[in-house]
Parts: sequence; structure tokens; C-alpha cells
Amino acid sequence: MFKKALLALPVAMAVGAAAQAGEWQDPNDVLQNLLQNNPDSAYLHQSEMNIMMMPDNPALWLVEEGEDLFYAQRGPNNVSLEGCDFGKGPGELDGAYVELPRYFEDTGKVMDFEMRLVHCMKELQGFTSDDAAVGQRHGNGSDIMKLTTYIAHQSSGMAWNPPLDHPEEQAMRDAGEKLFFRRGGAMDFNCASCHGDSGKQIRASVLPEMRNGQEWTKAISWPAHRAGHDNVRSQNHRIRGCVWQMRHAGIKHDTPVNTALISFWNDAARGEPAILPDLKR
Amino acid sequence: MLRNKTVGAGLAVLASTVLIAGCDGWMGETSGEVDITAMSADELADYLVLETDSYRFEQEAQEGGSARDRMVQDGIQAACSIEGDPDSGTAGEVIAMARESYEAPPGGPRLGNWRRGAELARSGYGYRIGHRNDDHGTREAGGNCYACHQMDPAEELYGTLGPSLAGYGATRGNDSSVVNYVHQVVSNPHQYFPCTKMPRFGRNNFLSEEQIAHVMAYLLDPDSPVNQ
Ligand code: HEC
Ligand code: HEC
Repeated sequence: MFKKALLALPVAMAVGAAAQAGEWQDPNDVLQNLLQNNPDSAYLHQSEMNIMMMPDNPALWLVEEGEDLFYAQRGPNNVSLEGCDFGKGPGELDGAYVELPRYFEDTGKVMDFEMRLVHCMKELQGFTSDDAAVGQRHGNGSDIMKLTTYIAHQSSGMAWNPPLDHPEEQAMRDAGEKLFFRRGGAMDFNCASCHGDSGKQIRASVLPEMRNGQEWTKAISWPAHRAGHDNVRSQNHRIRGCVWQMRHAGIKHDTPVNTALISFWNDAARGEPAILPDLKR
Repeated sequence: MLRNKTVGAGLAVLASTVLIAGCDGWMGETSGEVDITAMSADELADYLVLETDSYRFEQEAQEGGSARDRMVQDGIQAACSIEGDPDSGTAGEVIAMARESYEAPPGGPRLGNWRRGAELARSGYGYRIGHRNDDHGTREAGGNCYACHQMDPAEELYGTLGPSLAGYGATRGNDSSVVNYVHQVVSNPHQYFPCTKMPRFGRNNFLSEEQIAHVMAYLLDPDSPVNQ
């Protein structure tokens, strides 16, 4: 697995040389830098075991499987995903993940990564929602998580930089900020109830603070192998989990509340390098 | 109260379009019908929550009503949807709303059984919906106080979002003014702490009056481990 994962490096560097978002870096190097720069962050330092395991991150297996899937000719239309435009041109993956969500002319709306991936699998490859390829969203066995991990890995070490030039991008980001503070549900929680301060704990978990960019970049660095679940999880899965713990209504995938929240939370880590894939407790 | 409802009418039309078109439909082909850039951020946030089919609104909530009801804000939730502490005007309004809706139990607050209170303070079960819904028929919901508070000083697992309550009754006693105060806090803490992170356990019918009495005993009974 390391061979393949490491092989991705020179390719990414060669193509990504012109990217403004910075150069590709190994996720473990990104993490080590964050740890060194923030010796006092209880959130970043909370799990020594995970920090030690990071070079052998099990999520790297999915990078390899996802690469095969990305270039394979699949679906009723028997084409690869090389025609999929994640915002930087068809098949251009370097830096694409950290520059989402964004407005797409072809659909006339702001889309987050998973929405866009599903859009391409349906429109280009011809899958439908009934196919497991797009229907199954969670777990190491799912195509979506393999593809997500491979594609995200091509942006490792690059700075979060979701575009805000289009008025709808700005509108979704601003609405996402409101959503972050919108109270509701049986416990009156908003996201800031638990992510408003640094170093606070809920039970045994040290919580990341949204306004602390260096904590927040790790917080939003999904896909990540979640040790407690023994599975690689996505940004959308994390939102679903927190919404569930908040006792809000259950959130559906491919929906604009997800997109707005991600527009805001990626913006909140703007300029900080992404750890892709990460490893979490 | 802070919300502006002028967007409502036109948006209902779009919501039904979204349902028909499915996942790819929202604001795609239908974008001519609604201009999200014409809304304020607050309006758009409310619109996204309530009108875009983003949630499983049809599910039943354990406390009664639907999942949708959970996402429609009441006055305190709307006023407290802010970053940081409320300004003095907002704080005053929130305290007034909290006092207005507060009800003491018939005969006044009392202390129950601290052993039952200990279980309730530890349990984080209850009220989750969306997937793996919590089933109150098979397991009682708890108050999850330990998620945010230290209570029994011998307990090692506790959160720090709220202040330590270790020795709470030992330092305060449990005369009726203390009992009344603790009931007011557990039932609706915004009476004293406007826009606090602590849930309104009584007001939201999250805990029954009987359960609140047990939790109060856990805090105030001299025999409770909290006070050793
Ligand atoms: C009741 C408390 C609570 C609320 C409210 C809450 N979260 Fe979380 N959140 C958590 C916990 C606990 C974790 C896991 C942290 C850990 O295990 O280290 C977490 C993790 C996260 C993470 C990933 C960080 C990590 O290390 O796992 C993100 C990002 C996040 N939450 C965003 C949100 C957003 C967005 C909302 C609002 C929709 C929200 N949270 C609401 C408790 C909460
Ligand atoms: C989400 C976190 C959270 C949960 C869960 C929670 N609390 Fe609190 N609680 C707080 C915070 C925060 C405060 C401090 C008030 C403030 O400044 O906002 C507080 C304050 C209190 C106080 C007042 C302390 C004083 O200064 O007199 C009591 C009593 C209390 N909580 C009891 C409970 C009990 C009992 C439970 C469980 C049924 C509980 N809390 C659950 C967050 C929480």
C-alpha cells in the first residue's frame, strides 16, 4: 500500500506545480507540522496512539483502491471518471478537493465534493441511485469512500481554499455560518455549543474549536480513518453524526444544508493545510 | 423573533419541485424560481433547513410531534442563534421568555432518589433520530449531565463544557431556596444564564418532573456521592 501511496506523490507534484494552494505533502508530514506548531492544543495532541499510527494510516489502502476505480471504465456507459470536472477541469484532481464546494455552471448550483462525485457517476457513468455504487455512502467497502479518499489525497498538504467569487458561493458560505450557530432540537444545541471553545471536553473527547484554524483544519480533514469505527469516514458522515448527537432531525445526503455547512467549515480553515486522509479517534 | 419570514410563500413552490426532481433537483433546473443571493444569510439558512428536503422531517420525535418540529425554532432558540455572548438587550429578552414559560411542579420542587439520579446523570441515551433512532420503549432516556459536568468527584469521565458540580449540595445546603433554584436551572437555565449551552430539560420535556427530582437529589442529597 505504501508503494502505491508514495507513487502518487511525484505525479501530484508534477501536475500540481502551478497550483497556488501549495504543494502536495504527505498527510503525516502535515500533521507533524501542525503538532509542532501547536504544542498546547489539547485537541491536536489528544491521542498519542493515533499520532503514532498515522504513517500506517489504514485509509491509505482506500487511496489505492480508489485510484483503480477512478480510472476504470464503469457503469452502464462504460466510461471512467476522467471526464468528471471537480472544478479544475475534467480529470484534474490536484488541489480540487480543497477548492470545494463551488458553483458549477453545468448544474447551476453550488455543489460539495460528494454531491459532485455522485453527479458525475450518474451523468457520465450512468449509475442510478439504486446502484450500490452511488447508493452506498459509508464504509470502507463503498465505492464512494474509496473514490473520495483517492481524490482527496491528491490535495493533501494544500491549503483549504473554497472559492467565493460567485455570489451563490458567498451566499452558501454565509448561510452555512448561520447554520453553524442555529439552535434547534431537543437539547437546543448549535454546532458552537460544542465547537465554540478550545480545549473543552465532552465526556472523554477533546473538542476542536471552529475559530482556531489549526485545530479546525484537522477537524474537517475527512476522509479519515476513524479508529473507533474501524472505517474511513467522510465530511458528510461527520455532519450526520454530530447532527444525530445534537438531537436535531436526521440529515439526508446530497442536500444543500450539508453543502452550506461544508462551504462554511472549509472556509473557516482557509489557508491551513489539509491532512488527506487523516486518522481520528 | 430574529427571523424574517418574507421568503416563505414563493419557496413552498420550490420545495415541491425539489421533491419531484429528487436529489439533483434543488436549485438546479429550477434555479429560475428562487434567487438565493437575494435572501439575507439568516433567511437563506432558515430556507435551507425548512424548505429544501434536507432532513427526514416525516420521522416521529420521541417527545411527540415530528422531526420537523425540532428544527422550527422557538423564541429562545432563535434569539440565541448567535456567536458568543448575547448583548444586554438580547439577554434581557431571553431571561424574560425563560421566566414566562417556567412552571414549578405542583406542590413545588422536591428531591427524589439520588441513586436513580446518578443513573440519569450518566446516561446519554435518548431522543436521537434520523438513523438508529433511540427507542424509549426499551430504554429510559437520561440527562447526560456528565457530558458537560463533573459531579461525583470519584468519577473520572466527565466533560468540561459546564462548571464542576462536585460537592454542589455540600457547599450550598438544600433548603427550599436552593431546591427551587436548582429546579429552575435544570428546567430552564436561561432564567439565570441567558443563551447558555445547557439544555432546557424541563421546558423541552426532555426529562419528566420525576426524573428531575431524582437528578436534583443526586446534586443536593447529603448522602449522594456528589457531596462526599
Ligand atoms: C453535543 C456536542 C456536539 C455538537 C453540538 C456538535 N458536535 Fe461536532 N463533534 C462532537 C464530538 C464529541 C466530536 C468528536 C471529537 C473527538 O472524538 O475527538 C465532534 C467532531 C466534529 C468534527 C470532527 C473533529 C474530530 O476530530 O472528529 C467536526 C468537523 C464537527 N464535529 C463539526 C460539527 C458541526 C458542523 C456541528 C453542527 C452541525 C457539530 N459538530 C455539533 C460533538 C459535537
Ligand atoms: C451541553 C452541556 C450541559 C449539559 C448536558 C448539562 N449542563 Fe448544566 N450547565 C452547563 C453550563 C455551560 C452551565 C453554566 C451556565 C452558563 O454559564 O452558561 C451549567 C450550569 C448548571 C448548573 C448551575 C450551576 C451554578 O452555578 O449554580 C446546574 C445546577 C446544572 N448545570 C445542572 C445540570 C444537570 C443536573 C444536568 C443533567 C440533567 C446538566 N446540568 C446538563 C452545561 C450543561
